[in-house]
Amino acid sequence: MMAVPNCLRCLVRPSTTSITTSVIPQSQRIVPILAAPFSTTSSVQKAGMQPRKKAGIPGKGSLSRAQIGPNGHIRAGKKMQLGKFKKAKNIERGKAPAPGERKAFRKRVLLSNDNALPVTGLEELSAQGLLDASNVGRMVALPNELVDQLRAVEAFKPTQSWGMFRQPSVLLRKESVELAKKMTETAGRGETLKLVISGDKLVGKSMLLLQAISNAFLNNWIVFHVPEGQELTNASTDYAPIPDTKPTQYSQQAYGLRLLQALRKANASILAELRTVNPHPELVQHFPVGSSLLQLANAAREPDSAWPIFNAVWSELMVKGNGRPPILFSVDGLAHIMKMSEYRSPAFEIIHAHDLALVNHFVEFLAGNKKLPNGGAVIAATARSNAPRNPSMELMVGRREAELGYAEEKPVKEPYGKGYDERVEKALEKVDVLKLRSVSRTEARSLMEYWAASGLLRTAVDEKTVSEKWMIGGNGNLGEMERVSLLTMRY
Amino acid sequence: MVFILGVNFHEQKLVKKALESFYALGPQTADRILAKYSIHPRMKMASLPQRTATALTAELSSMTIENDARKVIQDNIKRLRDIGTYRGRRHAMGLPVRGQRTRNQIQTARKLNKVERRG
Repeated sequence: MMAVPNCLRCLVRPSTTSITTSVIPQSQRIVPILAAPFSTTSSVQKAGMQPRKKAGIPGKGSLSRAQIGPNGHIRAGKKMQLGKFKKAKNIERGKAPAPGERKAFRKRVLLSNDNALPVTGLEELSAQGLLDASNVGRMVALPNELVDQLRAVEAFKPTQSWGMFRQPSVLLRKESVELAKKMTETAGRGETLKLVISGDKLVGKSMLLLQAISNAFLNNWIVFHVPEGQELTNASTDYAPIPDTKPTQYSQQAYGLRLLQALRKANASILAELRTVNPHPELVQHFPVGSSLLQLANAAREPDSAWPIFNAVWSELMVKGNGRPPILFSVDGLAHIMKMSEYRSPAFEIIHAHDLALVNHFVEFLAGNKKLPNGGAVIAATARSNAPRNPSMELMVGRREAELGYAEEKPVKEPYGKGYDERVEKALEKVDVLKLRSVSRTEARSLMEYWAASGLLRTAVDEKTVSEKWMIGGNGNLGEMERVSLLTMRY
Repeated sequence: MVFILGVNFHEQKLVKKALESFYALGPQTADRILAKYSIHPRMKMASLPQRTATALTAELSSMTIENDARKVIQDNIKRLRDIGTYRGRRHAMGLPVRGQRTRNQIQTARKLNKVERRG
């Protein structure tokens, strides 16, 4: 229905004059249309649907004196004064959320859903199972103990759809087994695996990182995991210059404490067995040689005192031999720690992310300047949705991809391109790259069978459905497949 | 509650905003002060260490802010008036100083242009 031209003076919404006489009773035709501007319901129907009680209200006080002309114009009669004799209403607005509550709600990770069907016959993930090539394309459930550890290091992300299933389970892809093998072999030789996981959006980079972390936990490694690289560099946690460092480095006490807390939660049993070999005179509390690392880590309670303790724990873990296990140090969101941070030095210069001590630890290992004494892995995952533009990182990762045969041509530097960063290029020169790509149809099928068994995919999983979803989902991009089959209500 | 330069700030207030609440201390200066004391821009008053709060008070007390800054402006206006300039006269009359027309819309000039200017 077309709106008839309105009188500009009266400023009412498009009137329904032409139909008022026939459809809508007299008292209702000046009802303001309160619905959203876009609606698929026609205005006639909508006016008809307005509850009578509401419709009566404006008529009572204000417009009873107003004259309504023959063509629907409203001429103001006497101006009414609203609220002159009214008591102030006491509107109950409910309790406002406490500080931090909204964020906690936004970031919460649900790991089970009682409404989903339990999937029987799933094997539990084990250290051996991760290395077994015959497991490729199988769904495996994460054992409870591992789930607690993964939760402690925040390896689960709120954007992943764990909350739809009864029990957290993962698909073992070809790459997961390869990565697990690589990690175990490199650590076995006492060397450090330096790896960047790259790949398209939604292809499962964070999930592969989660599997790498699982592999580390299952093999009793020590794990340091930075769930969001941006939290280190976007100037949202404490920082302080470390005295006597040149160029000046910056400590992040609060984040150090967070890493320590995650460490002692996830690796408590290992830490309890490890004994200190060095005295730590710089600490306030006295730790005689031979006290357990868990005791040392537990001493960190406040952000103020956390940094020296973090350093002490770190130096203890970096001792060669003495039963020290291999270490996994991982970061999700590499681009954020490969740029200028948002912190400022006391001289008001922008601090490079590599001058932040925590980032520096990571980058030194990634660049191969330092080696983990007892072997281990340093793994970074790139992110595609939340990533600042980072030409140097893209260039170096692209080059490595081309060398490994993922791309035909090596990318070259733009001659007049700005924003290249030498430090970043140096850091990523020798790094290994794993480019994650789409899953095969057999892998997709096993995943879809798991969805169907959980009662979330309500079709028969046959060759046709699998091919259809595989193709609609960007030729086997796992996240896209999930979007087109599970999250259709959301998109 | 945290005191900076004798002013009491709520614990949920951003340190940056607290600094900016002082007269003649704007975003640029506040940023520089934050950087000088290694305070991250999202820090709130509650997590400001006492030592830093004291240092901030010391820093601010050496700066030309609040009444000192107001005094500088008043002095400038007074000087203009004392040497008998047009600008000084217009300030004293509470009228626009820079050649604006005065037929209407001179609220800002009426509000601000005084010899004993506040704010």
